Amino acid sequence: MFENIYPQLIGLCAGALLLTSALMVWRHSLLASIRLLALQGIALAALVAVIGIAEGESELVIVSLLILSVKGIGLPWVLAHQSKASIKQIQESPRLNPTAALLTVTVLTILSYIVVSRVFGLGDSSTGHAAPIGLAMVLIGFLLLISRRRARSQLIGFLVLDNGIATITFLTSGGVPILLEFAFSLDVLLVVLILHVFAGRMRTKFGGTAVDQLRELHD
Amino acid sequence: MTGIEAGLLLQLGLGALAVVTALTAAPSLRSRAVGILCTLIAVTGFLTGLGAMLGATGGLRISMALPMDPLVLAPDRLGGLFMLIVSGVGILVSLYSMSSTRGPDASRTAWVAMPMFLVGMQLVPAATDSVSFLLAWEVMTLGSTMLLLADHASRATVASAGIWYSAMSQLSFFFILAGFAVLAAASGGTSFSNLQAIEPGPANVAFVLLLLGFGGKAELVPLHVWVPRVLPEAPSHVSAAMSGAMVKIGVYGGLLVCVRLLPDGPAWWGIAIMGVGGASALYGILQASVSSDLKVLLAYSTTENMGLVFLGLGASMLLRGYDAQAAADAALVAALLLAVSHAAFKSTLFLGAGAIIHATGERNLDRLGGLGARMPVTAAAFGIASLGAAAIPITSGFVAEWMLLQSLIHGGRLDGAVVSVAASVAMPLAVAVVALTAGLALLTFVKAYGIAFLARPRSIEAADAREVPPLMQLSLALGALFVLALGLLPGPIAALVAHTVSSNPGAAVQSVGLGGVSLPGIGAVLDPIMLVVLSALVAIPVIVSIIVSARRYPHRTVDLPWGGGGSRARPRMQYTATSYAEPLVRVFDDVLKPSRDVQVTHVAESRYLVERVRVEQRVSDVFETRLYRPVLNLVQRYGIVVRHVANGSIHRYLSYSFVALLIVLIVVSL
Repeated sequence: MFENIYPQLIGLCAGALLLTSALMVWRHSLLASIRLLALQGIALAALVAVIGIAEGESELVIVSLLILSVKGIGLPWVLAHQSKASIKQIQESPRLNPTAALLTVTVLTILSYIVVSRVFGLGDSSTGHAAPIGLAMVLIGFLLLISRRRARSQLIGFLVLDNGIATITFLTSGGVPILLEFAFSLDVLLVVLILHVFAGRMRTKFGGTAVDQLRELHD
Repeated sequence: MTGIEAGLLLQLGLGALAVVTALTAAPSLRSRAVGILCTLIAVTGFLTGLGAMLGATGGLRISMALPMDPLVLAPDRLGGLFMLIVSGVGILVSLYSMSSTRGPDASRTAWVAMPMFLVGMQLVPAATDSVSFLLAWEVMTLGSTMLLLADHASRATVASAGIWYSAMSQLSFFFILAGFAVLAAASGGTSFSNLQAIEPGPANVAFVLLLLGFGGKAELVPLHVWVPRVLPEAPSHVSAAMSGAMVKIGVYGGLLVCVRLLPDGPAWWGIAIMGVGGASALYGILQASVSSDLKVLLAYSTTENMGLVFLGLGASMLLRGYDAQAAADAALVAALLLAVSHAAFKSTLFLGAGAIIHATGERNLDRLGGLGARMPVTAAAFGIASLGAAAIPITSGFVAEWMLLQSLIHGGRLDGAVVSVAASVAMPLAVAVVALTAGLALLTFVKAYGIAFLARPRSIEAADAREVPPLMQLSLALGALFVLALGLLPGPIAALVAHTVSSNPGAAVQSVGLGGVSLPGIGAVLDPIMLVVLSALVAIPVIVSIIVSARRYPHRTVDLPWGGGGSRARPRMQYTATSYAEPLVRVFDDVLKPSRDVQVTHVAESRYLVERVRVEQRVSDVFETRLYRPVLNLVQRYGIVVRHVANGSIHRYLSYSFVALLIVLIVVSL
């Protein structure tokens, strides 16, 4: 029974990951982006859980719970930790218009499929077929980083990039030891916390967090 | 554990302790505590160097976590000599700095840098492989840069000097690194014992690169441009350490290349070194002779002395190529003696200049004067060191230049026959250079001593000067004492020095009589004690007769009713440094290219009557204005264009990485 739906579950989770990434490029509202990020974290956790159940590794299931708590709940909560009223008003004005951005996402996805199939080979397992999604997420995360002006939107791009790296790891090698995964998650959490504080300081000091206005270096 | 190993370990340990003490000690104790530790570092280095110079062996192996050969510090005789030189200067400087440092010069950063600088300098000559050599070299450079920049906050000139110094140091380092890399590629190893290129191609490339690198540190023209900025702006004890000791490390590098790594070079190597050395000597002393800033004068005089050292080194290389072994060794020993004596007199001079600044706050000679009566110990030490710098008999400078001249004059001939056309042209030219340099040096130091210490004070600060604290006096006196000792007893020291470089030292240099020196290969003898006795025999009757006649006709004060201007002489009527050097500026106008500014203020009623004339003369460094400025301007223009690539926008930088990543991905999948 589970063997039959296993490839479909993998495909579903991977599709959810790609879809959330693409939607993040499309949506301009910060609140929407954070919700999509939470969804993406949940999808990633589900992906890890599915792989863990299929391979019978209880360790991976624990990792999936860790991911769910950090990437599905923790990080989005930290990012959204501001009064709902003000966060709803925050609208990103990206450096790339939505149509061009979505076209770029398409190109990047195709590119990652080409690269993975040429360089590593897709293999015949269902996880191998989904591996290019991870690379596509990395590239999309990078695209978010360079196309967003606000510090917090950039942070979301960074998190998508990190999710992409995690996706590749789980799909190609069945994950890393739990200790390492734990350390990575904590690292990311720490980075997000620091940047969040930093963005807050920027806002109080300069009245905005538009990164492209920060050009001059001072002593 | 051998003595050398213990000495090296102790230096490292004391260095670490000094750094920790500098970081933690209370400001009131800091100068004393770290100064004492620095003195101990220098004393340890002195003893270690002495041991190594006398032939003691042993060394320190430091294993590395990195995948490379262990670092081995094991000074040979030559390394020992240079360790001795730099730590000798280190002792003087440490003693001096304990009571001379004030304000930012006594800051925590400055005192952290001091032991780093000393230990770095003392370990460079101990290195036996290129990695540890470069490591110690960088510690030395870093320490000296930090010391230089101690006062950067309050004086803009210090910051500018820091930039020049860092840039030129990095340039030197780059050349040395490239030179060692060429040698290592040709020979396959980083240890000096197998770092010898056999093929002439890589050997030539490595020689030029290493000469540029070490020449930059040894202040040779045209890489000397940092000198007139850095040495005057650094605190005086740091200038003394830089000029007295660090520059010698550049000389050591030159010797390492010419004596140890690439000893059998073609004739043009020797001629090239002689050319660079001769040009440096002439240009340095010319600039020094016209400078009215005491520390700029001393800085340029360093370029001159290092030029002479390299002149001797080049002559020795050239002569060795023609098998004139004894003359070659004599030239090499002369170069080394010059380095030793320069370390003694130049550090004393810089410390003396520091004492003057300590007492008056002035380093402009035109505003000094009359300090001899107010600061007797400083005046005596500065005077003796000036005699050394001007190469006057019974001082160290004289012995060294005498040996250099002897080897240059007699070197061109071997058993009465001319050794080669190249040598017979180069040697007389070199003699001319040394002679002209010696003459100008005499003029320069007569000016430096005469204007600063004799006559009447030219400013209120000079008139109010007081003698410096005892510890500073002590280190000045020690330096002056060494200048005299080396000048009176050159024989034993020259014989010791000859052991460090010559395979047959007895044939090159011998000690004769009561500390006299003889050059058997050339047939020349110098006995300073005899000179002193002889001159005393001549002088005593004269002095006695003067005293007797003075007793017979007691001194009468004559109060002239009309003094002819002499009875109302004012300080402003005296010669100044600028006016003293004015004829020289005119003679060498084409080389120095001075810029003059004359402002005439007329009396309001009539333009035929002059109220005031103001003359200002600036002598800039020709190499800086003609060679470096155009290059810097070009770089700056190019830099402004390139600024668009890196405009500070984080998005642009991220885009670069993104595009690079995409390109890599596309390339690997093709």
